[in-house]
Amino acid sequence: MSNRQVAMVIDLNKCIGCQTCTVACKTSWTSGEGQEGMWWNQVNTAPGHGTPKDWEKMGGGFKGGEPQKGVRPAQGDFGEGFELNYKEALFEGAGNEALKPIGDEPQWGTNWDEDVGAGDYPNSYFFYIPRICNHCTKPACMEACPRGAISKREEDGIVVIDEDHCRGLRFCQSACPYKEIYYNHVTGHAQKCVFCLPRIEQGVATACSRQCPGRVRFLGFLEDEDGPIHKLVNVHKVALGLHPEYETEPNVFYIPPLSPEKFDDEGNPTGEDRIPLEYLESLFGPEVGPALERIKQGRADKQAGKGSDLMDTLISKNFLDLFGPFTNHPREIERIATELEREPVIVPPSIEIAYRGPGGSSQ
Amino acid sequence: MRSEKISAIADYAATTAAGWQQIAAETVEMVPAPVEMQPNGFIQANWRDRPYGQLASLEAQSVHDGTTLAVRLRWASEKPETGGREGFPDGAAIAFPIKGEPVLWTMGTEDEPVQFIQWQAMKNKIRSVVAWGIGSSVPGSPVSESVTAGWSQGYWTIVMLRTLAGGPEAATLEPGTDTRIGFAVWNGSNEERAGIKAVSVDWSPLTIEA
Repeated sequence: MSNRQVAMVIDLNKCIGCQTCTVACKTSWTSGEGQEGMWWNQVNTAPGHGTPKDWEKMGGGFKGGEPQKGVRPAQGDFGEGFELNYKEALFEGAGNEALKPIGDEPQWGTNWDEDVGAGDYPNSYFFYIPRICNHCTKPACMEACPRGAISKREEDGIVVIDEDHCRGLRFCQSACPYKEIYYNHVTGHAQKCVFCLPRIEQGVATACSRQCPGRVRFLGFLEDEDGPIHKLVNVHKVALGLHPEYETEPNVFYIPPLSPEKFDDEGNPTGEDRIPLEYLESLFGPEVGPALERIKQGRADKQAGKGSDLMDTLISKNFLDLFGPFTNHPREIERIATELEREPVIVPPSIEIAYRGPGGSSQ
Repeated sequence: MRSEKISAIADYAATTAAGWQQIAAETVEMVPAPVEMQPNGFIQANWRDRPYGQLASLEAQSVHDGTTLAVRLRWASEKPETGGREGFPDGAAIAFPIKGEPVLWTMGTEDEPVQFIQWQAMKNKIRSVVAWGIGSSVPGSPVSESVTAGWSQGYWTIVMLRTLAGGPEAATLEPGTDTRIGFAVWNGSNEERAGIKAVSVDWSPLTIEA
């Protein structure tokens, strides 16, 4: 058990799907070899298939406390990494060359079904949902690893994979119900979001949070009664874990999206929510309805001039109020050279094996 | 089984070396490592209803030249699987008790460790690991090891070589004594890895000829 738990609240009413968080994470953590198709932070369109594709149908997690069968996602389910033909399209094509991927046509990727959503015009709807590892209180991945390579840090509850002990067995990928663990085929290790722990250790917000132009992400310790996380999760009870039925007790929470109104045939608003409550309940559980009502009440109180601590917290006029104790500026980070920076990258020996063909004798 | 004393181990390093035809082969019965013995509920949940470790038997032979021991294994495998980028490779391992009388299936205990010499089809080398129980394996004492492997007409054949001399984390094998040997095989095309494997029912007695 951890002594305290670092957590994140993501306000879905403010996310504009710009993927700045995705890129902040990518450039910070997954620009290495074998990480081309790896996105520790993704922003997908909901309703949608998500990343990896149809991850909500892949099982894992617990039911009644019992471990559940799960599918191990393939890289193709996440989407392969690909490069675009920037050089030809932007500099050499004289305007005749379209921007397109180099090599094989990609079949899937993060937010592949962008803005598709659901519903019929004019009552179609969608919203964005950023996802990272949930650093669960009861991590299925940790329980599934026969090597004991996954641990939950006592000091902050961040779930980490020890690559010295990971053998790339990938039972964790099947067990994680959020399918937030990738496999690096070059190093032979499972890899995932580390909640920017070197930043957190130095009081700096995660890259995805700090870079977010929409000020969508709140950070802090769940137990810190003065922090935004405790307020939003435990006091105002408007921040909910994704798929609580997976029973891993995720520590990334979401402010559910308020819905635009439906229009009738003549284009008049009907007062009905366009996003079906049943759909939101399928994501956030039965508490989502009451949570939305509390948000609406807070908004009404604010509009009526009564004031609302909930709205003030959600609006967070002071940028740094988003980040609880993690308000240090990234430029203050003391950079520690990693082993990879100090030592030459170790590349596994080339894969060589000689097969004897039928009737052959060579080794 | 007996590890026959021969004059030069180099003559037996190849899987197809003629000398192996003169060495008695023992058929070792293999069974799936029980699902109840898998180390956690997730692995059990995923494999309870899924066949694995279906190899019924393998053939084992052994020789030594007073310095190095060779073990030759041959087992049926529909196709060779190296695992590629995302899969899992075919594999095999032999096990020796380092001291005491550890239970093979539980991979030793804190006081009675087991040495494994493991081969995987995507690597042209083997590695020695030591285990003090399920899931505890780490690289063991350096023991000079090498392997040759080949797949042909539905069978893998591999020859694993290791020095007789051992250490605190590798079994010491002495000519003129009896020890025990265990076996495991992984079918990579069925995603078999770690405890999801075929194992020998128990240790086989191994006599190392003087």
